[in-house]
Amino acid sequence: MTTGESTQIRTYPTALAFCITSFFWMGVATFMGLLGATFLIAPDLANNVSWLFFGRVRPVHVNMVLFGFVTPGLLATAFYYLPKVLDTELYSEKLGVTTVLLWNVVLVAAVGSLLAGHSQGREYAELVWPVDIGIVIVFLMVFVNMIMTVKHRREPILYVSVWYACAAVVLTSVTFSLGNVIWKPDTGALTGIPDAILLWFYGHNIFGLLLTPLSAGVAYYVIPRVVKSPLYSHTLSLLGFWSLIVIYTHIGTHHLLQVPVPTWLKVISIVDSVAMVIPVMAFLINIWYTAKGKLGAIHEDIGAKFVFTGTIMYFFVSIQGSMMALPVVQRITHFNNWVVAHAHIGVLGFAGMIALGGMYYILPRVSGKPLYSRLLADLQYWMVLIGMIGFTVVLTIVGLIQGNAWYNGETVYRVLPELQYYYVTRAMLGLLIFSSAVIGLYNGVRTLLSKPGEAVS
Amino acid sequence: MYFPYFITYIVVGLAITLAVFFWALKNGQFRDQQRARYLPLQGDSDTTSPPPSSPFSRIEIYGLFLLAVAGLGASAAVLIFAVIHGGR
Repeated sequence: MTTGESTQIRTYPTALAFCITSFFWMGVATFMGLLGATFLIAPDLANNVSWLFFGRVRPVHVNMVLFGFVTPGLLATAFYYLPKVLDTELYSEKLGVTTVLLWNVVLVAAVGSLLAGHSQGREYAELVWPVDIGIVIVFLMVFVNMIMTVKHRREPILYVSVWYACAAVVLTSVTFSLGNVIWKPDTGALTGIPDAILLWFYGHNIFGLLLTPLSAGVAYYVIPRVVKSPLYSHTLSLLGFWSLIVIYTHIGTHHLLQVPVPTWLKVISIVDSVAMVIPVMAFLINIWYTAKGKLGAIHEDIGAKFVFTGTIMYFFVSIQGSMMALPVVQRITHFNNWVVAHAHIGVLGFAGMIALGGMYYILPRVSGKPLYSRLLADLQYWMVLIGMIGFTVVLTIVGLIQGNAWYNGETVYRVLPELQYYYVTRAMLGLLIFSSAVIGLYNGVRTLLSKPGEAVS
Repeated sequence: MYFPYFITYIVVGLAITLAVFFWALKNGQFRDQQRARYLPLQGDSDTTSPPPSSPFSRIEIYGLFLLAVAGLGASAAVLIFAVIHGGR
């Protein structure tokens, strides 16, 4: 299949700028995670340094993983594939680059304000109002660029990746505004249980309606490209997309099954959490059948290797998520490190892996230079994989110890010594992942600084 | 009172979703699904070969690798120490 732009060499400054942003902030985010994990085994590590307390470091880690590393990484690939599958140019590279610059300003403001102690104290929604507004603005800028690119397309049919990318940006703009209660600048919160409901509506959707659709969009583009085969079924992919939109929006309340929220809301969240099997399996069956018999090609391409591994992690995290929404399971697994393990499979194992894969796939193409070192990329792959699986195992064990102890009425101080070894292991794995981020940054920077290779296009 | 927010969100969300869905239906987004399967393959031909062996000095690679191994080794040592002596 040919198009009019086949002989034209494109440049992708927006995609490239998002790539650099993601590689850099992955280092910051994972360092903060490592620091937080270290505090759990050495609480006095930064004694008297107020801006390095656990309570400040942890939100920086979470927010930078979300808005610094994973989202820009996924957007980098989105800004690469959107013009291609729409058979047009990006609406405005200037707007795109400006967005990235402003995005980084917002990230710096987020880190600075959180470390300075300016927090709204709501998990995943800690950022203060001016930073919230900054995030909404950059998402709107991304949306304008995407939707105008869609408007000026030459390809009449919207490929499923386009649906996912646009939906992610639109839904996040709304979800973020609502979840951060931006109409109340002083507190960024309602009061009491209604605030908890709103917060977890946001808290789950910021992953499910931002990272999930962006990741799916990247996988739907990279895997067919690498295996050089058409998508197994575009109809199935659209079924997955629309069912995700319908189902995912209501499941946040499954974080609140053990608190006094209305029962009907709990029932909806549980039913829809289980029903998530539909969009998840629609996506996975599609991707895996597209790659069927061509795993060699995926192994050859480091980007596809990351992406494909991310899809496997998606399977695990989704099945686990559906099960965790069941009250009988949640009695043991909630409010402890089991959930932290689950979050790491989802954000690092699924979305983070796909973000890295997308960036490794596009980096030679947007820079026009060959990847600096496949060896380093492979090293990063294994370090992330081992680190993430290690997290899962260790934190799952910790979660089960904590959950079982709580369930049986054990006092906290008797349980803590049992967790010490696992927390040490967790910190070790954090070092592994931080090291992998440094290697990735180094590889990315050296790729950009290397001599121009053969133009990819 | 959280109901107003949720009702607003649900109504607005549903309206946007339905509007987009019917736009898609009317504009033939659900037709020609066979051609849609090939969309990611269109565009410039992918002439990129798998990344060649790294152009940079092998010494740098070995240096980085040693650093990574040293870091991991130190971590492993901490872990072993904690396992052996941590309970005392």
